[in-house]
Amino acid sequence: MTDTDKKDPKLSPTGNFSKQDAPPYEGSLQCMRCGFCLPTCPTFVLTGRERSSPRGRVALARAVAEEKLDFTEAVKEESFFCLDCRACTTACPSGVKAGEIMEICRDQAHQLKPGGHLSTGFRNFILQKMMPSPERMESAMLPSRLYQRLGIQWLVRHSQLLKLGPDWMAKAEGMMPKMDKPLRLQLPEITPAIGEKRGKVGFFLGCVMTLMYPEISRQTVRVLAHQGFEVVTPKQTKCCGAPHLTEGDRKTARDLALFNIDLFLDQDVEYIVTDCAGCGSALKEYEELLEGEADHHRLAQFRSKIRDISEFLAEVGLRTEALKEIKRSVTYHEPCHLCHAQGISQQPREVIRQIPGIELREMKESSWCCGSAATWGLKFTDESQQVLDRKLNNVKQTEADILVTGNPGCQLQLAWGVREAGMPQEVKHLIELLGEALPESDND
Amino acid sequence: MISKKALQLLIDKLGAQNVASEKEDLLVLGYDSTPGLHHLPDVVVYPTTTEGVQAAMEIAYEENMPITPRGSGTGLSGGSVPVQGGMVICLNRMNKILEIDEENLTATVEAGVVTLDLFNAVAEKGLFYPPDPGSQKISTLAGNVMEDAGGLRGLKYGVTRDYVMALKVVLPDGTILETGGKSVKDVAGYSLKDVMIGSEGTLGIITEITVSLIPPPQDKRTFLAYFDDVRVAGATVSEIIAAKIIPSTMEIMDKATINCVEDYVKIGLPREMAALLLIEVDGHPAVVAEEAEALERILQAKAAEVQSARDTEHAAELAAARRTALSALARVSPTTLLEDATVPRSRLAETFAEIERLTEKYQLKVGTFGHAGDGNLHPTVLCDERDADEMKRAHAFYDELYEQVLAWGGTVSGEHGIGVAKKDFLALQIGPGGVDVMRRIKNAFDPKGLLNPGKIIDGKQQ
Repeated sequence: MTDTDKKDPKLSPTGNFSKQDAPPYEGSLQCMRCGFCLPTCPTFVLTGRERSSPRGRVALARAVAEEKLDFTEAVKEESFFCLDCRACTTACPSGVKAGEIMEICRDQAHQLKPGGHLSTGFRNFILQKMMPSPERMESAMLPSRLYQRLGIQWLVRHSQLLKLGPDWMAKAEGMMPKMDKPLRLQLPEITPAIGEKRGKVGFFLGCVMTLMYPEISRQTVRVLAHQGFEVVTPKQTKCCGAPHLTEGDRKTARDLALFNIDLFLDQDVEYIVTDCAGCGSALKEYEELLEGEADHHRLAQFRSKIRDISEFLAEVGLRTEALKEIKRSVTYHEPCHLCHAQGISQQPREVIRQIPGIELREMKESSWCCGSAATWGLKFTDESQQVLDRKLNNVKQTEADILVTGNPGCQLQLAWGVREAGMPQEVKHLIELLGEALPESDND
Repeated sequence: MISKKALQLLIDKLGAQNVASEKEDLLVLGYDSTPGLHHLPDVVVYPTTTEGVQAAMEIAYEENMPITPRGSGTGLSGGSVPVQGGMVICLNRMNKILEIDEENLTATVEAGVVTLDLFNAVAEKGLFYPPDPGSQKISTLAGNVMEDAGGLRGLKYGVTRDYVMALKVVLPDGTILETGGKSVKDVAGYSLKDVMIGSEGTLGIITEITVSLIPPPQDKRTFLAYFDDVRVAGATVSEIIAAKIIPSTMEIMDKATINCVEDYVKIGLPREMAALLLIEVDGHPAVVAEEAEALERILQAKAAEVQSARDTEHAAELAAARRTALSALARVSPTTLLEDATVPRSRLAETFAEIERLTEKYQLKVGTFGHAGDGNLHPTVLCDERDADEMKRAHAFYDELYEQVLAWGGTVSGEHGIGVAKKDFLALQIGPGGVDVMRRIKNAFDPKGLLNPGKIIDGKQQ
């Protein structure tokens, strides 16, 4: 739906939006204003303010397209205040994607309301120079040089400009897990299947996973191999583009998407598996992102191969014969970009239940956002804390030993939150749990 | 435009955080769920107490400013749309459940409490608040009272009106009116609370509500029946009632809706069927068993296919099609016109036939579902508001349908209210005498005509 210029401008106006990457008018028109999204929206529940609700935000986008409103500072604010958690997409009867519309509005914001020179420079440096290059990211993230290279000092000096929330730095620092070496350079390009071979899959190793959670993704590859899959992990894999979509840089996101599509379609793999809900959701949206700009058949082919690890394991069926018993109770937090953006809700639970000895205790509101939401948790630290508290309270009530999730953003926020609140739960990725159940004797 | 003085006064009385006058706020508080209706208010306030509502209304009264109350804006007749601008009073921040009284079986809530939140809170105490409008996840209790909202349980359990025991209301000049109480019997004077229920915000603004609660049913059984002729489905509904079974739910969906649902969720619904009925009986287990048996006998004799739920999970599966109906229809086209034509049950089959005829005549895409047990149907036109000709045909479709509905002794609104769109039909339904009495009542409560002007009946004529 990006080819608005091909549509009748009278029927699909872009109005006061910039023509480049304007939100499709049909997307806003589809809203019937029933309000079913309101109770699912964390920012509406926090503020009780209509313009901070999905319905309100869609109405603002529509008003801009209909020239009833300029693309004002308030519209920009709302596009960034939206968590992009997509809970409203799940709740919407008529298929409106308010989160996506806001994501596109963030791109509009950079076109129509660019920040100051310095913040734009920094943003472009991170999004366009650093993130698309695995090598640069790795050298920047070398733990000893992390602060200097990522320019944290620079950030501190300019935190006003970037509109980061109060105490964001203490939080960012507190959230950093203990850093190991990036996984990308350690993983072999090809990991052979163990036991009876069931197929060949590509593994999409995400940036945050390789840099911050290398041990988790190592387990993903180990589990896939143990399940009988030969795993191809292309070293050249670039960032999926999710941070760019979130920050409103659709152009760079497209470049990255085109690169990754070519890279993975050349591998001759049946599936492309990821253990990061954020990556999975972005990869599944390549088709829409590149509509009209890449071969439709190739886009559809790529889309049909993408699987979240839990989705994949539930689909092919988990081999449980060799799994060890883990006598622990767990509760499951659904990452927004898994349950709302990808509609994957039952599969992780199915996999958890199949691990021998595990008791799954459902928490209330398991699909309610944890308040991380990419950089949202650093920009709106107070609001993020309130959203997190609601989550932690629900976790607490389960009295489970382990809090399981499936997305690094959630894991950073939840692990930090649990620690700050002095709660006893360990926070783990689903695949870590499964990795623990694997027999030790297998490869590695 | 609101004067600077009045705006400052509102901020002084209610706090800056509870007053909004930026264009972005005004733009998103001038609609509800009624298609094609959008007007800008001049100012929006979010009072948090009855006194706050009172202060806001007094200021509006002084300024001669129209006032429109608003809950969550889920209405389908424009009740909360400020058609003449002025002040919108948003009550969604008054959302405390004040009391659940287990001795008197009542709950007292602030105006903006969400229907489902009340349901859940009383359920925790083993009690039941039955009214379940389709928007219950976000609709507010005061909105429900003002529109006299119905829902799926209407046939057996009644509608919002049947549960309201007391109201606290602020009148346009700031007078506080308390009407009703916790006494089960109360015949002291005119029942002002009953005048207030369903008044669509034209007489006063509700700030507090006391509702009655009942013990929940202990058991339930769910059936799904398919029919190859919609007339047989209609006749079956009448036969079930004639057999003195009052189901807690008796929902109907026509062929077009069945097919839209199947297109959307692909759960294997039989596309060739003309209608389906989703029926639930609930109550004491012994009664449920007896009713279920009699019900199944009737369904087996009439329906092309009958499924009986084995357990709660299966019951949820059987209800899936009905639950998905609105979503499935709403996805088909940009604009969804959802109406609530209501007829005496015995006319159900004829109404379906009439809808079919008019769909053909006006060349529209229409899906119909609704509450068969109480003759309350939702003929839903799937269209595109950018297509002027199609919209014209859609309105002609409803005009002709409503004329027929009235000829059969039905009503132009079963549960959505009159609002702005159906004023002419109301006049047809209740006659000039009826309209005149309503106008006199309106004038008695709101002599300046400031409260939700343009709704139900047109401005004063004296």
